[in-house]
Amino acid sequence: MAFIVLAASVLLIFITVAAYNRLVSLRNRMQNAWSDIDIQLKRRHDLVPNLVEAARGYMQHERETLEQVTSARSQAVASGSDLSARIPAEMLLSGALGNLFLRSENYPQLRATKNFQLLEEQITSTENCIAYARQFYNECARRYNTALAIFPQNLLAAACGFSQATLFAAEAAERAVPQAHT
Amino acid sequence: MENAKACSISNQDAKLAHMSFAPDAADVTRQSGPRDRETFYKAQKRNRRATWRIAALCFVAALVMGVPLTLVLTPLAYALTLALAEVINYFSPLPPEFWTTVNGLSHLALSVGDYFINHRGTLDLETLAAGLVVMLAPGIVITLVLWIGVLALFRRGGVGGTLASLNAREPDRGDLKELQLADTVEEMAIAAGLPSPRVMLVDSAAANAAAFGTSPQDARLVVSRRLLDDLERDELEALLAHLMGSIGNGDLRIAFTVTSVFETCGLLVTLINSPFGKQSRNTLWHVVRYGLMRPSSDTARSAEAETVASLLTGCLDVGDDDIDRFFNKKKSAWRSFLYFVFLPIIFSNLVIEVTLWFFLSILLGPCLALLWRTRRYLADASAVALMRNPDALARALKRLSQDATAIAGGAWATHLFVVSPKGDSSLAAHAFKPADMQLAARAWAESAEVDAASTTTGDAASPAGPGTDDYTRLRAEIDATRRAAMGGDAQAIGRLMAFGRAMAMARGIRVPAEMLHAADLAAARQGDQAAIARLRALAGGAGQNEAKRGTTGLEAQSFLSFHPSLKRRLKRLERMGAHYSPEAHGKTPKTAVVVMTVLWLIIAPLLLAAAAMMLVVIAMLIMLNLVFVAMWLAVIHGIFALLGHGG
Repeated sequence: MAFIVLAASVLLIFITVAAYNRLVSLRNRMQNAWSDIDIQLKRRHDLVPNLVEAARGYMQHERETLEQVTSARSQAVASGSDLSARIPAEMLLSGALGNLFLRSENYPQLRATKNFQLLEEQITSTENCIAYARQFYNECARRYNTALAIFPQNLLAAACGFSQATLFAAEAAERAVPQAHT
Repeated sequence: MENAKACSISNQDAKLAHMSFAPDAADVTRQSGPRDRETFYKAQKRNRRATWRIAALCFVAALVMGVPLTLVLTPLAYALTLALAEVINYFSPLPPEFWTTVNGLSHLALSVGDYFINHRGTLDLETLAAGLVVMLAPGIVITLVLWIGVLALFRRGGVGGTLASLNAREPDRGDLKELQLADTVEEMAIAAGLPSPRVMLVDSAAANAAAFGTSPQDARLVVSRRLLDDLERDELEALLAHLMGSIGNGDLRIAFTVTSVFETCGLLVTLINSPFGKQSRNTLWHVVRYGLMRPSSDTARSAEAETVASLLTGCLDVGDDDIDRFFNKKKSAWRSFLYFVFLPIIFSNLVIEVTLWFFLSILLGPCLALLWRTRRYLADASAVALMRNPDALARALKRLSQDATAIAGGAWATHLFVVSPKGDSSLAAHAFKPADMQLAARAWAESAEVDAASTTTGDAASPAGPGTDDYTRLRAEIDATRRAAMGGDAQAIGRLMAFGRAMAMARGIRVPAEMLHAADLAAARQGDQAAIARLRALAGGAGQNEAKRGTTGLEAQSFLSFHPSLKRRLKRLERMGAHYSPEAHGKTPKTAVVVMTVLWLIIAPLLLAAAAMMLVVIAMLIMLNLVFVAMWLAVIHGIFALLGHGG
């Protein structure tokens, strides 16, 4: 009898430890995914000046558009790690970039330059990367949240102070943003 | 339209929703869609479960195949041990305990055999179990050891050799399409949360893509250049999503295991063939050399690994082999003696080849093919999960399936590609067509002109002037130039480069920016396999690229294709929300269905009967094998007994 109790308690401890470790690894993965979004955003910041430089020579009449892009970028860079300021700034940049590509339709000469094409591809790719990084983050967060919420684990999670993660939802404003051509 | 929106997850941003909306009028009007809609989560789960089921089936199939194999291998192993023991015993007598053990074992085996075959005698469970172990264990142990050896051997092989055989190159980031490729790969890696795999390009006329490697960490994606030119960005992305999904699902490992099963069978045949001929000994020598190779020279190692792999799978092909050649030699007293010595091995060899051929092509091969198909479906579902755009994948698959050319050098790994290269062998693609020959001749002449124009030194070495259509001479000349180029002759290099360009241009292949590096040549002189392969590919533009891989793909071992049909794939994609274009629905007429059913009803029993006959034949062969081995042993024992008395 004592043996059975002992075995059961050892088993219980093992299961608890495994569940705890799983929660931790899920949380780490999620945090990692979050920082990946950051990396992509930074990459976009680095690409924007080149794009503006390439476009400046051809888009003389679009000074305003270019300026919008530049200012949106500097805002986004300046917003630092403060999320509440940063997310709107990044969205503003997305909007400005979309606008720039839309306007560039009127300048076939610009669109024909190889440099611009390559830059456009890079920006498009970065935008996609941001979207996919977000999707991956959401996927991780969803898994983490599910793991937190299901029955025996939710007791453990509550005891150890795991909290639900928030999903990254696209704002309505961004949904309306025109996208660059692919 | 609403359909697509519903399927795309609500938190997707505008871009993805945007991209899945490329509906033409037909799609908008045809809104019904299949009734059994399925989310990609569910589809993934379902296919994972199917994989487990079929893996279990494969295991059973392997066991079933293992029984006859063991029944052949075990007596052979025993016979060889005993013959060896007799020889040793002649020179220095073995302890009597050895012979009593042998006696006991043979009695056990005999009584069990008697029980099974003649239903005579009674056995308690313990003796039965012991007898079965005695009868089966050695064969099982041999096969398992071989398999583990093969697994261990190829795990460190790497993928460099495959890439060299495909003549893959790095994408050029200055080219828009190739930049797009590199970017989409990175995007998909981010979406899948995997390390970004290296991507390689193949300048091939076929449009296809594959993932190679042994784990997600060393995975390589191989994409043909044609693919980039044919597909839109989102379609390309969908294909890469399929490959990334397949990597993420652990398919590389599964592919590796599947291949290793075939390689083990090949090794078994090689081992048994090795007393008879050069070819098998050569293969064995390759295997041993590869096993002993230092892990430092990476490229050479992986090239060697690939050679060994192709040799081993090549062994499985029934046909002209060492045994035939052994028997075709002139008869003499020495030969007759050899025949006697090798008698049990010859017969066992025959039985094993027949058994392997039968069970691989009818049982294990199809099971593995089914397993691989579920992985493809799973990867499709994962691609939808990653990209949330089933339409793009459906379009890409349809586009790729329309043309059926194989990537040269990739024939042995057809199962790794996204769609089945239906041409199946690179042989067909590289047969010497008259048109090809003329093309090569013209290109060679052209390159001579370019060469003469650029280097004013009177180039006398161009006897194959314009109009020469003696193809063999042309080939010899190209070969000579290639050798000169390998030796570092700058003029020859120039000529080859010009020739390569002319060929590529004539065939409508885009000319890669650097087709021939001086660095490649230097590396080739130092024995870098990859560089040599690249050079060979360059010269091989003329169509003399020997299709060294032949038709030894795994698909040759199974009557079922390793790839699911396009129609089924599209149907599953439709259930996940793709707009399945009506022309693909093309229903077969009712009469055709009826005729096919009737035909099948007639043919199926015949096939079953044939299979049953084969089984009977195999059983008889195994029996005969036993008898032969026993007779052989008896004669040897008799000879040694006589010798022993004489001495």
